[in-house]
This record gives sequence, C-alpha cells and structure tokens, in this order.
Amino acid sequence: MPDGLELAGHVVRLATAGGADAAEVTYTEADRFSTEARDREIAKLERSTARTLTLRAFARGAKATLATSDFSPGGLAALVAETVDAARFVGDDPHGGLPDAFAAGVDAAALRIFADDVRARADEAKIEDALALERLARECDPRIVNSGGSRVADTTVSLALANSRGFAGEYRQSQASLGSNPIAHDGAKLRTASYGTAARAYASLEPVPSVAAVAARRAVEMIGARKPATARCPVIFERDVAAQVLGDIFAAINAANVAVGNSFLAERIGARVGSDLATIVDDGRLPGGLGTSPFDAEGVATQRTVVMERGTLRTFLYDTYYARRLGARSTGNASGGGIGPSNLYLSAGTRTLEEMVAATPRGVLVLETIGFSTESVTGTYSRGARGFAIEGGALAYPIDEFTIAGNLAEMLAAIDLVGSDLVFDQPIVAPSFRVAEMTVSGT
Amino acid sequence: MQPDSATLQRVLTRALGAGDFADAFYERRIARSFRLQDGRVHEAGIVVSSGVGIRVISGERAGYAHCDDLSEAALLATAKVASLIAKDRTARCDVAALPSRAERAASRYGPLEPETLRAESATYVDFLARADVAARAHDPRVRSVLAFFSSEMQEVAIATSEGRYVTDRRPLVTFGVQCVAAGRERGTGFYGDGGRTSVDYFVTHAPEEIAREAARIACVNCDAVETPAGEMEVVVGAGSGGVLLHEAVGHGLEGDFNRQGQSLYSGRIGERVASDLVTIYDDGDLPGERGSLAVDDEGTPGAHKVLVENGILRGYMHDRHNALLMGSASTGSGRRQSFRVMPQPRMCNTYMPSGEATYDEIVGSVKRGIFATSFAGGQVEISKGDFVFMLAEGYLIEDGKLTAPVRGASLVGNGPEVMNRVTMVGNDGRLAGRYYTCGKGGQYVPVGVGMPTVKLSSVTVGGSGVA
Repeated sequence: MPDGLELAGHVVRLATAGGADAAEVTYTEADRFSTEARDREIAKLERSTARTLTLRAFARGAKATLATSDFSPGGLAALVAETVDAARFVGDDPHGGLPDAFAAGVDAAALRIFADDVRARADEAKIEDALALERLARECDPRIVNSGGSRVADTTVSLALANSRGFAGEYRQSQASLGSNPIAHDGAKLRTASYGTAARAYASLEPVPSVAAVAARRAVEMIGARKPATARCPVIFERDVAAQVLGDIFAAINAANVAVGNSFLAERIGARVGSDLATIVDDGRLPGGLGTSPFDAEGVATQRTVVMERGTLRTFLYDTYYARRLGARSTGNASGGGIGPSNLYLSAGTRTLEEMVAATPRGVLVLETIGFSTESVTGTYSRGARGFAIEGGALAYPIDEFTIAGNLAEMLAAIDLVGSDLVFDQPIVAPSFRVAEMTVSGT
Repeated sequence: MQPDSATLQRVLTRALGAGDFADAFYERRIARSFRLQDGRVHEAGIVVSSGVGIRVISGERAGYAHCDDLSEAALLATAKVASLIAKDRTARCDVAALPSRAERAASRYGPLEPETLRAESATYVDFLARADVAARAHDPRVRSVLAFFSSEMQEVAIATSEGRYVTDRRPLVTFGVQCVAAGRERGTGFYGDGGRTSVDYFVTHAPEEIAREAARIACVNCDAVETPAGEMEVVVGAGSGGVLLHEAVGHGLEGDFNRQGQSLYSGRIGERVASDLVTIYDDGDLPGERGSLAVDDEGTPGAHKVLVENGILRGYMHDRHNALLMGSASTGSGRRQSFRVMPQPRMCNTYMPSGEATYDEIVGSVKRGIFATSFAGGQVEISKGDFVFMLAEGYLIEDGKLTAPVRGASLVGNGPEVMNRVTMVGNDGRLAGRYYTCGKGGQYVPVGVGMPTVKLSSVTVGGSGVA
C-alpha cells in the first residue's frame, strides 16, 4: 500500500501541472470486516481493503471531480488529465476554489476516533459475537421463529488529504457495529424488527445481550397490532425515529439546499422557528463521536456549531463554497463532495420516555417509520409508522399500517416534551420527543 | 487490464478450496457526469470503479473479498481470504477449465457508439443548457432548475468454478431535471429519462421535454392542497405507478427472503396472492430499459419472468446461490452495485400488462378518492408486507373527475391486501420514465417499472387534512 500523503501530494502535482489552478486530493484506505449469523450458522464472512482516491480540480473557480479505485500509474494519470480537462466545460465561478484557512494543531488522539481494539480483536471473537447475538435474540421469546440475520461489522480507515495550498493532514478512525433482525410470528403474520448500535471501539459498544434483548422486544411488542383511527393527537417519537426526524431537518439546514431555494428554513436566520425545547447542535469535535474528525473533507477545522438555540435559528451548516455564496464562514461541514452533518443532535431534556407517555392522556408513540421525504422545500412530512396507542397516560395496544403527517416547521414549533435518553450511537441522534399535535391516518 | 483466462483459472482454484462454488467478478465502470444549477454548468465529475470481487459458496455460507489491484499476487491473496468460509470443510471440488476467451453476452442494449469525454462533453453541456431554458420558459413561476446528465459504461467479466466465462458491456445514460416553482406555496417537480443505450436517445427524447415535465409537476405542486387522511379509493396512474408493484409485491418475491422464510410469500407458489386482474412480470430482456441485462452479475442471461398470473403466484426471482439451495435455477436476477459487494436477487424491469378498462371508466367510477399520478419512491417491510409510497404528483378525485392537486401524500398498506383490492386495470399499460433506482441492503441498482392505470378499492392515505 502506498504512503497516503505522498500519493495525495503526487496527484495534486499531476493536476496542477496539467493545468488546474488549484487541486485537492483525498486518499482513503478502509479495512472492512463483516460477518452475519443466521440461525446457528455463520452465513456470510467478508474482509477486504477498499482504496479510494478523490480529486477536486479547479480552473477559474470551475470544479471537476474524480473518484477512482484505479491506482495503476498510467490509469491514474490519464484520469487526472481527463478530470482537469472536464473543468473546461464548467462555468467560471467566483466562489469556487480551495478554502483560505485550514485545520492546524489538532490533537487527533484527544478526539478518540480510533481504537486499537477494532483491528486487534480476533475474527473468531467477532464471529462468536455474531452467533451469540443471533442465538440470544432468538431465545428471548418463543414467538421469535426466524431472523434476517445478526451482524457484526467493523472498519478502520486511514485518510490523507493534501492540496495545492500546502495543506497536508491525515488521521485514522475506526468503527464497530452490532445489529440483529429477529422475526416474530403471531400465529397469522410475520413481523420483522431491527435494532443496531455502533461505536468507535468494540469496548464501548452496547453489549451483545442488550442488543439482542432490544431487537427481540421490538419484534414481539408489535404482535396483535391494528390500525388506529384517523385523528389529530400528540405524537411521541422514540429516540431512533426522533433521530430520523432530525435527519429530515438536516436537509433544510444544509446550505447547499438553502442556496437554491430548496429549504423551508431559507431566510429564517435569527427567526424563532422551534419551541423553547428545540436546541440543535452539530459538534465535529465530540470525543468518540461517530461523526467526529479533526478536519472536514476540505481540510477545514471541524467545530461545534449551535444551529438552533431554544427555537431560534442561528446558522446553516456550510462548506467553503456555499459559505462564500451566502456570505458566511464554513462551519467545517464539507463531506463527500457536498455538505454533511458531523455529530448532529437535539439537546437532551429531562424526562424519561415513561414520564412522557404518562404525561400524554391520548396519543401515539412512534417506534418505527418507513418511507422518506423529498420535501425540504415546504417541510411537508408524511411517513408510514408503527408504535403504540397511548390512552390514559399508558401504552394501550400496538398499532401499525398508519401514517403520521405534518409539516417539519410546525413540528419543530410544537415540540413540547424532550427526553433525557440522548445516546451518541449514530452520527445523527436525538432524544425521544413529543410533538403536541399531528395527523395520524389509519382507518 | 482485465485479468486473463489463465490467471482467473488459478485465482478460482485458490478460492474454491473445499467450497461448492466460486466466482470472480471483474468490473471497470466509468461514469461521467455534468450538473447544472443557477443557469450554468456547476460541476463535472468522473467516477471510476475498477476491481475484482471473489466469492466462495459453501452450503448456505458465502465468503467474499475484493481488491482493486489486478496483479495476480493480489488476486490470489484475495481469493485466499474469500476461501476462509470453507476452511473447516474437507470436501474437494474441482475447478472446470475456463475457455481461453470469454463469451461476449448478446447485447440487449440500444445502439452504441464508441465514446470519449472530449468528443461528447460539449453535447452533454448543451443538453443541460437547453433544459434550463425550456424549464424556465415553461412557466414564470419556475424559480430554480437543477439538471444532471450522466453517461456510464460498465465492462464486466464473470468467471466461475463451473467453467463459465462471459463478458458484458453495459451502457447507461441518465438525464434528470428538478424544478422548484413558487406560487401560492413552493412546489418541486422531478422528471428523468435515459436507459441502457447511447446518448443518441436524447435526439428523440429531447432534454426540453424532460425539463418541461419537471417544470409542469413543480407548478402543479405549488397550487396543491393538503391531502385528506384516511381510507379511500385510490387510482394509480399508468407508468410510474409501477413502483407499487416493485414495493408491494416485487421485493417479497426475491429469492433470498423466500429461501430463509422471511417473506410473507414464502412457500406460496401456486396460491392466490392478488385479485385475478393482477399479472406481474419482471423482465431483464427489454431493449434499452434501465433494469435490462444481457447477463446478470453472475453471468446468467437476463430473462422474462412471470411473477404473478391472474392473481396466482407463479415464481420467485433468483440469483444462483438461493436458487441452488431451493432446488431451482437462477432467473438472471443476481445483481450487485459494484465489485465490492456480493450479488443479491434483485428486480430488473417490473411491470403489469394492460387490462381492459379505459382511463375514463376507472376515474369516472370513483366518488371520492385520490389519483396518484406518480411516486417519488416507496419502501416495504418484507415479512409482514407493509409498504409506504410517497406521491410526487397526485390529485383529489371528486365525483369521477380529477380536481385539486394534493401535497405531501403517502399511501400506506399491506402488499397482498392491497393487491387483492385491485378492482379495475386499464388498457393503457406503459413503462415509466427511465430514472428509477432500487436500494436493498445498502446496494443501489438501476431498475425499470411500469403499469396501466389501476383502481384500488381502499388504501390508507396519509395526509395532514382530517375530513
């Protein structure tokens, strides 16, 4: 394997020698392992190293990009030349180009994003974990009759970034994950559930028995579910689906969407758009966070950004290009050729989920949603859902085959309870929260 | 450079070990794209995926490893990792001799010209500019236009321990336009087209037409009203309505879910699973469609498959591994996103043939309901069959006529229940615009969908309006 920074620097020089005004190259090497157990057997075992080189070349601010897994010397040189040439067909852009300031003096070790135990742990131990997860999930309840498999996966990544302004930086990161998909049978229907968790180290993962128990509970608790009646009522989003709602809100705070009028939050900076309980933070420096890194995809220092403070929209999330276009400063959110969250979260409240249910005379607890949104322009929200009907402050019966609908702006403004159950086990996370009123559509 | 036959033979021998079967998948894919926003070309991009994936099957187990280094040493090392899945077995299978030259799969694709970026970049850029002008000229309410053009060529070679050695060259062009219009409210519209053919496709399917369709949908949506919530009659429009078949039935008929007993369709071949008006095909052999394949990613020719016939379940879609374990044969449905992942049983182009009702008869029969012109996407849960679809364009039906457009609607239901509620099938079957992509287990592949106008007697519509 080549030295990452050396290769990146070499390709930067190829691009500038070929006519680019500026160039930036990222080289990543990802060692991946995954295994899947089904029933009592290992069904899949995969191990590989994936290498990727990406180039951004600029001419007069016009951008052309390359992503390749072809590292043959002749192949790479030809692709770099073709990429630089492609910029000829792109319009001049006064906002295009590399950042003006880069990350410096970051103590990468303090970020705790690389753990030795990911590579050090023996394959046999990981395989044992997958088998144990599968066995425990099936043993939790006699109604669990099948499974879509239980997985253990990990990856360690080395990343090197160099550009024609002299920035050169590198870091390593690791991730391990567990997931299980037990299937329950209630006499008439099969019901699949899914639960998974991830962390930077095996040592900090939620333990196998706990993952198995949550997955199994999710499979059996839906047995006997029926359609609720159509109504307007309070909706509590349990933390996993709460995180998905925050993911939908991310599309509206992404400056790339804001710049082209594709966000319902465009032109709302400084305005009150959420309730007092809506504080949204993106923190690229959260120690051990799955979205943490010392610098973003352009070499800009990551940072902690308060996006929404007690309901008031403070900023969007920017890379260098959209910051220049919208007269702002990059928030260190350049990612994968666009803008991405680092560790995006809704700040925790004080209530347990049980207390939130108890405070709801009549409503719906949503445990899972299906479907996805394409409506960041208007904030229109509509999803298929499963969960529980709440009656008299208690879970009454499981419900499915219904939808919940509303508008993301109205939902933000109507958050009236926020839970304390914030766990950083994904890059986008949220505690459970309640929206005062939404439309539940069933029978 | 693609590894030669002798090298692949040695790699497969190293891989197979005590396994039942091994294959090597070589890929070199180059995708070139241009993206327009704010009235000018904003970005050019090239994506190259080049490498080999090696798979070893041992009973129900599969081992996999891949590498981007095409040297024999690297390939042999990769083969050794893949072979670990069978390391505790002692059986010994022999690798059949590969032919010295690969068979070239008979093309199901449109006419192809040799291409170079330099020669065609100007053409691509011209397409984008024409689309931008056409979308803005369509209606003054159009505020922003995003357009992209992409042209890719994927060369694959598949070699198996059973002596099959076949290559395929798969083109794919895609042109997509997204518009935002501002009227009473903001509305978005997307439309796309293309397929497994050359860029010449856009001579007869002009970028202007694609752009105007996106602009039209955006303008319709800025006048949209809140969707009523609850159960009601729903008419699904011809073409893009085929997403319904893909989600509500298709995924549940994929061989992996059925072998493992995860699907509600498991073990039900020959049983009634839909109203007798429902026939569903999946076809990898339609010229130029996005989901068409001369051979799939395991080297099996793309084929026409009857999934459901007059409401009776006729067959599943199989890749090689699941077919073998179920005592069946591959249906040419083994597909993968790239050399970095194992193939899965997947759909190609899924559609329902025409019935006998006219569009007017169908819409005229609905007192109060929703007309779902097109879907932005959908998702299904395989075991119980619950699905959701998001409408991209839809209307209220009142007293047999389309009235106000609706915003933000989704349909939710259960696959077999809804397919049993198909009460009318139109005579206007057609395939949708060629822009659909299907995701499964993190792998994305191009697919086609199609359907005539269909009436469903009752579906839960998820809007925010309560009647």
